[in-house]
Formats: sequence, C-alpha cells, structure tokens
Amino acid sequence: MSPVLSAEGLTLGYGADPVVRDLDLGVAEGEFTVIVGPNGCGKSTLLKALGRVNKPMSGRVLLNGQDIRGLRAKAVARRMALLPQSPVAPEGITVRALAARGRFPHHTLVRQWSPRDETAISRALELTGLAGLADTQVGSLSGGQRQRAWVAMVLAQDTGVLLLDEPTTFLDIAHQYDLLELFADLHRQGRTIVAVLHDLAQAARFATRLVLMDGGRVVADGPPGQVVTAALVEEVFGLPCDVVPDPRTSTPLVIPHERS
Amino acid sequence: MTRSTTRTRRPRPPRGAAPPVLALGPVALPVHPRSVLCAVLLLVLVAAAAAATLAMGRLGIPLTRLPAVVTGAGEATEAFVLGRLRGPRLAVAVGTGAALGLAGALFQSVTRNPLGSPDVIGLGAGAGAGAAFAALVLPGVVPVPMGALAGAALAMAVVAAATGTGLRHPGRLIVAGIGVAAMAQAFTHFVVSVMARDQAGVLSAYVNGSLGARAWEHAWTIWAVLLLALPFVAALAGPVTVNEMGDELADALGARASATRTGAVVLSVVLSAAAVSVAGPIAFVSLTAPQIARRLSGAPGPNLALSALVGALLLVAADLAVQQSPVGDGLPVGIFTMGFGGVYLGYLLVREWRKGVL
Repeated sequence: MSPVLSAEGLTLGYGADPVVRDLDLGVAEGEFTVIVGPNGCGKSTLLKALGRVNKPMSGRVLLNGQDIRGLRAKAVARRMALLPQSPVAPEGITVRALAARGRFPHHTLVRQWSPRDETAISRALELTGLAGLADTQVGSLSGGQRQRAWVAMVLAQDTGVLLLDEPTTFLDIAHQYDLLELFADLHRQGRTIVAVLHDLAQAARFATRLVLMDGGRVVADGPPGQVVTAALVEEVFGLPCDVVPDPRTSTPLVIPHERS
Repeated sequence: MTRSTTRTRRPRPPRGAAPPVLALGPVALPVHPRSVLCAVLLLVLVAAAAAATLAMGRLGIPLTRLPAVVTGAGEATEAFVLGRLRGPRLAVAVGTGAALGLAGALFQSVTRNPLGSPDVIGLGAGAGAGAAFAALVLPGVVPVPMGALAGAALAMAVVAAATGTGLRHPGRLIVAGIGVAAMAQAFTHFVVSVMARDQAGVLSAYVNGSLGARAWEHAWTIWAVLLLALPFVAALAGPVTVNEMGDELADALGARASATRTGAVVLSVVLSAAAVSVAGPIAFVSLTAPQIARRLSGAPGPNLALSALVGALLLVAADLAVQQSPVGDGLPVGIFTMGFGGVYLGYLLVREWRKGVL
C-alpha cells in the first residue's frame, strides 16, 4: 500500500548546516508512528515540515501522493492536523470556542459555519472528555485539561492524519499516560498518528512503529521491540543501559546503568 | 484580572450550546449575541454624541431642527454650521476614530501584544512627520496622505529593523517605538518651526492631532480609505483570529501566518496614515479602542467591528468634550486623548511588566 504521508529527500534547516539531511520516510495509513531521538536531532523540525509549517530547503512531502507545497494550505489542513509544542491560548477563550477554531480550514470567507462544525466540535469535546467543561475558560483549566483542550481543537479539524509535537511535555506522569491512552484510542479508531515524544518507554509502549533519529538522519525504524536495544540507546543517546521487557506490556523498557 | 468578573457577570448558556448562526443563501456566519448587542449600543451612543456635537454650544442646531437641517431644509446659518463648521469635523471624527480603532485591533492582534499598537510604537508620529513634510516642504508636489503613508511605512520599517527580531518581542517593540516616535516628532518640530515658521497654527495638528477646521475633502479621504479597506479587513478577520494561537498552529490550520501578519500590518499602516493625514497623530485611540471592545464583548479574537465602533465613539466624544468644555476651547483633541490614554498606557505597562511579558 502506498503511504498516506511521505518525505522524499527532505533537507531542512537554514544555510550550510541543515538540521535534517536528505531524509526519506513513508507513513502508512493507520500507523501510530513515534519519532524519538536526542535533543537537536531534528525530530521536531521534521514533524513541522511534514505538517507544512517548515519549508524544506530541498525535497518534498507528499500527502496521498500529492506534494503539499502544490496544494492550498487549507486543503492540506482539511486532511492533516498538527499540534505544535507551545500554542497560545487567546485571552478569555472557552474550551468550546478553542475547539471551534479547529474548523477554520473548512470555512470560506462567506461560509464561516457549517452544520458539520457542530458534530465535529461536539465529538472532539466528547473524545477528550471535555464536554462538561465546554463553557469553561481555557486559562482556568489544569495543565492536563488544557492540553486536552488543544487536542480537542485538532480533533475538531476532523483530519485523517494527526501530527503531535511533544504533546505530553510539562504534564505530570498521570496526565501523560492519560493523554497517551487517548491517542491510542484515536489510533484504534483509524487515525494515522505521527508523534514526537521524549520518553522511550512511553514511545515503545504506544507506538506501532518507532523512528529513531540522530544528527538529522533516521538511524533505526521499525517495531519498538527492534528499535529500542541497549546497543542503539548507548550509541545514540550516550547512555549505557539494559533494555528489559515492560512487566505489563512486554514492550522494551530502558534501565540506565548507575555511574560508577 | 477581569476573568473572574466577566465569568460571574455573563449569563451562562446551557453547557455545550452552539452559538446562533446567521444564514442567508450561501452566507453562513456564527453570531456572538453579546457582540451584536454591544454594536447596537455603540451605534446608538455614536449617534447621540454626533447629535450632541451638532446641537450643543453657541452655534448649535437645536435637536428639534436637526432632521430638517440634515435633509437640506434648514436656514442659511444652520446650513453653514452643518455644512462647513461642524458637519465635516464630525464626519472626520467618526471615520478617523473607526480607522484608528481598526488599525489598533489588527496590529495588537498580529503582534499578540496589547502594547503593539500603531500609536505606541511610533507609526502615528511617523505618519505625522511625513504629512508635515508633504504639506509644508513639498506643498502641491506630494499629496499629504501619501506623505503620511510614507512616514508611517518608514517608521514601521525602522521599528522592525531596530528590534532585531521583527515584531515578536513586546519589550523591544515598545522601546524601539518610543525612539522612533521621538525622532519623528523632532523631525515634525523641525519642519514646522524652521521651514514653516509663519504657519505656527499647523504645528499642533501635526504634532498632537487635531480636528479643528476640517473640510469635506478630509472626510472623503478617510471614508474612502475605510471603504477600500473593508474587503481586506473582512478577508483578514478569520486568519488574524487564527494567528493569535501562534504562527505554527496558524500555518498548520492553513491560515498562512506570515502572509496574514504582513497583510494586517500593511492594512494597519494604511489606516493609521489615512487617519493622520486628516487629523494628525491622535494618540491612544488605537491603543484603547480594541481593549475596550474586547472587555465589552467578552469574546476572544480581534473584535474588529467593535473596535472600529469604540474608536469612533471615543474620538467623537473626546472632540465633543474639547469643543464644549470651557477650558478645552481650541485645545487639539489629540492632547485630550493623550491625557486619558497616557494614564491607561501607564497602567498597561505596569500590568504587562508584572506578568513578566516585558
């Protein structure tokens, strides 16, 4: 099957020292792909390029076989959503109004509302468990709820592909898993998800496919069990460790060695 | 800080209720009821202030006579007051106030900065310098509005270059703006006092902003620019609203963040320049109108239409006060708005500083 989203010879960054160099990646429909790698490896830059936020220096990104630079920005946004790392919540906005902003790509100058908006927004609020907080101001929510409100916004966008840039950063561990379970649910419902995550154990537990990046290149790509090995973690992160199976899910778990 | 008050004051719709929608043929727009209510109220207030402007004082046209005079059935004196003395001045005040309100709403929205207002960052002063130069040094060569536009654009470019980070950093934007405003005002003083010493009367207009002795051509200028800007404002309203959530998200939603910002800044520069070319750099209407509009509507987003209405009301009311108060006679309206707006600017600086934005 041809990939729903793919990068071909992608070089990203500025000037003589690109962040990502000549990268190829194909994402099949229905995959939950997680991109991991050390700080500065180019994973966020890659995700933004996939989401049409960064312009490549060379190469191209294809969505259903079409170059996204050749498509209208709104047409891309109707099929693929991106949740960036630090979006800005407008002052005084309610949860429902924030979710409604995800409908922007479905609107035109004269048609800024459609009956499908209502269904999409209500569904997004239900999926994120925020239906009861619809009229609450985003500014007064807890960190975990606020991040759910942003997820509701990209869900209201009603796209088949969802790109998430470190969606669990700044949340406590319970809220991190809470959110990851939500993504797993969305994945089971058929969405294609590409996420950048920091935590290898979380990535391995939830991803169907792990992409390990280092120095702007993909160094390993496959099922989590094959990618997360002690040798590779030491090589890429410089962290001597054992990799043991997670006692609950049997996915790989990284146990760092103590420094002697 | 208004968060808790607005929450208790606003009547709550049932949870998850959809907003009402205005649907007409191919047009479908969501409606914010409180904003519509505010708009109607503001229109009534602008009309009331306008009627008061025409009716009050020594030469005022009595309210009962207004309909007749406006429809052209007035006596010679009344027709003179409406057609020459107060009518043009009023029309300029409404249009200029609306233009300043819109310019401020656009600029504050795309800079995501309540202090990122054309009057605070030196656009108004730049336009004033350009207008003074065109009117006094090159009379008849460069039309005054073109001079104002060039001055505003130059000020904008210098501010963006001086910050080193474009329009992103609120603190740098304000500091650069203060510097540019000071230079522009110095230039205006220089032009007026050295090159046009005999025209001292025009000084206050180009330095402070004034609505004294306006003619219909001024009114046509500002209203024509407003009318021309309208389709662009309508087209930008949606993307500007999305832009408030950050460039990356706006791009991902298909709103093309930098194109939107460029468009909004250009529009804001044009509207500010038009306002300055007919009334001089009137301070703090651009700064305050959008923020009053937001508090009135309780709605996030740039509140463009309400900002225009609040701007119109502020300027008409300020000019009415200047014309009718015993001490204000002959005082440029810009001095009056500066007095009130300066206090607000101080409050805002302290608030943003406490929030750690600056």
